[in-house]
Amino acid sequence: MSMKRYVAVRTIQTAVLLMLILTFLFMLFRLIPGSIADQMIFQGASPEAVAAFEEQWGLNDPLHVQYYHYLVNMAQLDPGTSLHYRKPVLDYVKLKMFNTFILVAPGVTAGYLLGTSLGTIMGIKRDSLLEKYGIFPIVGVGTTPSFFLAIIGVIIFAGWLGLVPTSGMITPQVALEMGEDAPWWKIYTTGDFLWHYVLPFSVIAIKYMYEPLLIMRTSVVEMAGQDFLHYHKLTGLPKARWIRHLGKHAIIPIITFYPISLGRAISGLVLIEIVFNWPGIGNALVEAVLQSDYPVIQFVFFLTAAFVVVGNYVVDIVYGMIDPRISIAD
Amino acid sequence: MTEPLLEFRDVTIQYQTNRGPVTAVSGASFSIEPGEFSGLVGESGSGKSTLVKSVIGGLDSNGEVTAGKILYKGEEIQDYTEEELNEKIRWKEISYIPQSSMNSLDPLQRVSEQAVEIASVHSDLSKSEALERFKELFEIVGLSPDRIDDYPHQFSGGMQQRAITALALFLDPALIIADEPTTALDVIMQDQIFKYLDRVKANTDTSMLLITHDISVVFESCEQIAVLHGGQVCESGSVEDIYRNPTHPYSILLQRAFPDIRYPDRKLEIIEGHPPEQLGEVTECSFVERCPWAVDACYENAPPLENVSESEQNHQSACFRNDETHALKGELTELAGLTDGGEPNE
Repeated sequence: MSMKRYVAVRTIQTAVLLMLILTFLFMLFRLIPGSIADQMIFQGASPEAVAAFEEQWGLNDPLHVQYYHYLVNMAQLDPGTSLHYRKPVLDYVKLKMFNTFILVAPGVTAGYLLGTSLGTIMGIKRDSLLEKYGIFPIVGVGTTPSFFLAIIGVIIFAGWLGLVPTSGMITPQVALEMGEDAPWWKIYTTGDFLWHYVLPFSVIAIKYMYEPLLIMRTSVVEMAGQDFLHYHKLTGLPKARWIRHLGKHAIIPIITFYPISLGRAISGLVLIEIVFNWPGIGNALVEAVLQSDYPVIQFVFFLTAAFVVVGNYVVDIVYGMIDPRISIAD
Repeated sequence: MTEPLLEFRDVTIQYQTNRGPVTAVSGASFSIEPGEFSGLVGESGSGKSTLVKSVIGGLDSNGEVTAGKILYKGEEIQDYTEEELNEKIRWKEISYIPQSSMNSLDPLQRVSEQAVEIASVHSDLSKSEALERFKELFEIVGLSPDRIDDYPHQFSGGMQQRAITALALFLDPALIIADEPTTALDVIMQDQIFKYLDRVKANTDTSMLLITHDISVVFESCEQIAVLHGGQVCESGSVEDIYRNPTHPYSILLQRAFPDIRYPDRKLEIIEGHPPEQLGEVTECSFVERCPWAVDACYENAPPLENVSESEQNHQSACFRNDETHALKGELTELAGLTDGGEPNE
């Protein structure tokens, strides 16, 4: 099967999957007990007012009509209005999402880069001291629950050493001084942001280092014993080139893992966000759940699922590009 | 006499294992002249692959040449580092056809990419020149030149074997080492491979060291042969000499173990036992346990290779009873009651 067809098939599959997720969420939120109108208008409103409200927002329409409106709105990137903040969900979530993304994506990526490089070295230098003794602390740290790791980090680096702040993304004073008119991205360019950023970033990087390290180490050892790599060596390729070939083969499982890890981390590092009081999507979701802010929850759920699905999609495409043997059967 | 292209002098190769050093090859000597096709035969585990892998640094990490010399064009290469092997030997001078040709092409590389990479490392060929050259070779080995851009998985096993052979011929090496190049193939494919190896022989001055356990292949394609048993070279010489006048007991018994189309009713002999696995230093003839004519001396020392007769150049056998084996062979024939076990006339 040609690459083009492979991409086309996977794209359609992914679109269908996203559609199913939307449908599932639509049903889920309509199965929750209690009327949406109750959530949205003050208690004690007259039945007429409630009826008028339901009429206005199409809550009395047949389900399939509601479903249609829901899909159209989602397609237009309009997930509704936050019940709590009374502003468009997208505007609210967008910023939270960015805060999470700017922390998690570089953190996980750094962890993967570190882990992959170190795993490669350990795989090549098998039985060295580094490989024998280096692995215990890394696995030990990596398997510690993330919130615990975060707390230890705060105690040591913020408490005892006082190098970094204990929590938050920016000192309120700095944000205030910037004024209302500053563009939204301005705070991310300040040194104060970086100062807040270092510790949570490091915790995530260390936490996400051990999985790629273990995978890469095993993969390198396994691949180095393959006949085609032995043949590469005997054709007289210089060591550096040989390692490049080895890496290209060994890294395939990492490439599969990375986007999935990233997708999960973006929606799943709630505990780290809470420990560091980072204004990201995890914190926002917890808040929204406590306030029964359904439109926000619904959209965050969708994003969460979409990241994983899109992550898998990217993996498949990249996989197909690096390994010509991968394709879908007709 | 010209200088041999490749010469093994008393080469001993050991593998370090948990049970101590295992001697895979002990005191092996033989040589290959320029332009010559030479066959190395022996049972599984006789050390033939180990011996040839030592030439290009292909031993497993626990294997090492512990004694003796390997001379290539007069230069000692047994202690070359990886860098020196890459610089001076691999593919520049000696190319290699691996035993497992079906798994030896990189599945993530187009075959042409692999060729271009080898060319860029070892030669001054430009990319287009390299591709041109590789196309020609595809033609020689019987593959369609427009398939050089295929991935290995798009080839059948036999085609991968041919592609590997094309890569071995690619940079006009002085010597090709072929480690059982046809083991995985059916007889028709085997025949085709040897046909084009013959063509290579006719058209180039490349030498070849062919490792096989199929002695008939050697008789068909090679000029010289060395018989290996238990890590020792039993007998070496020209194919004619060894066919007409096998002198080492192993060669004699081996010949009787092969079917002969002229004597279809002859019963094939079996050589009892297995080649020994040798821990530590080897101080006896490795064939002693299987040899019907062993004497005390065979247990005490490993016999050296000695010229069999003055008339046969380079024909050497490693047996203390070289002078007696022909007579002993006569006895054996009578004892076994063969219809005809002697030397057939051509």
